[in-house]
Amino acid sequence: MKRQTRSAVSVIFSIGLACVLLLLVGSLWGQTGSADSNSKTARKSLPSSIQIEPTDPGDVPMPPEFRLAIYENLITQIEKSGRFQHVYRSGDKDAASVPDLITLRTTAQSFKKGSQKEREVTTVAGSSSIILKVHITDHAGQTLVDRNVEGKVRFFGENLRATYDFSKKVATIVRDAI
Amino acid sequence: MGIHNPIVNVAVATNSFRAARPRMWARGLFLLAVGAPLMFFPARARAQAAGTAQAAPSLVQTDVKLVIGGEKIKNGSHGTLSVIGNSLQFATSNAKVEVEASSILDISTNEDSRQDITGAAKLATMAIPYGGGRVLSLFSHKVDVLTVEFKNANGGYHGVIFVLPQGQAAPIKKQLVAMGAKASVPLADPAADDKNKDNKKK
Repeated sequence: MKRQTRSAVSVIFSIGLACVLLLLVGSLWGQTGSADSNSKTARKSLPSSIQIEPTDPGDVPMPPEFRLAIYENLITQIEKSGRFQHVYRSGDKDAASVPDLITLRTTAQSFKKGSQKEREVTTVAGSSSIILKVHITDHAGQTLVDRNVEGKVRFFGENLRATYDFSKKVATIVRDAI
Repeated sequence: MGIHNPIVNVAVATNSFRAARPRMWARGLFLLAVGAPLMFFPARARAQAAGTAQAAPSLVQTDVKLVIGGEKIKNGSHGTLSVIGNSLQFATSNAKVEVEASSILDISTNEDSRQDITGAAKLATMAIPYGGGRVLSLFSHKVDVLTVEFKNANGGYHGVIFVLPQGQAAPIKKQLVAMGAKASVPLADPAADDKNKDNKKK
């Protein structure tokens, strides 16, 4: 009798242990599954690609080299931010088939022409600055970002640095806002 | 046996001749294989020479700075800008960038920007407050800036900016426009300007 009860107890204990283990594994499986689905929904809401349009000079007499420097710097800085899987240039045929594509447009608002010499001599006066309107829309045309951003060159360097400064600021805005 | 042996020998001789045949064929094939490329070699060399003659650069400008937009080439690199065949090429010691003239959407020099806003329009733009009227330029020192806007094979819009010694950008622009590159601001033709002045005088 004693042997039988001992063996019955051990069988029941092992079955119980197996059940507990199964429950634990099941609950863990469920948790990871829900975490995955949460991250998937989070990922779904974030756009994976951006297309950058050439800078519109607006009413500002901005020479082509300045517009292009802004455009190329924007592409470099947004690529560097690592926020998007793809950074498309304006007119890229591949961008048309991307469902969550957002578009970045920049329009010149004003500029203040400084002096490189003055900057180098005084380090206080002679700063150059450009102000551009940054407009980001989603695939449906809804506005995501619409604000003015200023690019400055304060101490040393050519006006080219103002385009670099502007692009870096825009890349930060894009990374934080989207 | 004495008669039988020669017969056997003849057969052996014929067999050895037959055995030598494939060897000859092999030698012939080997010679053909070695000789054929050599036969065509001079013609190929001539064709290559003709090719290099066609692709010889028609305009070469050394010590050009690539400001931005060189893709594979680092910004600020110095190299040689040349018009080769139907394209504009910028080459450094490590890499090169080539843009076909037909893919150029617009080509301009810093002189174009000055041409663009002159006379009454210049006065009008100067009246815009907060410095909005004066032409903004990337570089303060006296250099030529050549700006090329083009489309890549995928339709993507690109821009590349070069800085050249003064007076060197216009000839490159002129040549590329002649090859089919588009330019929103055409190059001023001094001869045509003189003719117009003469006609007005008459």
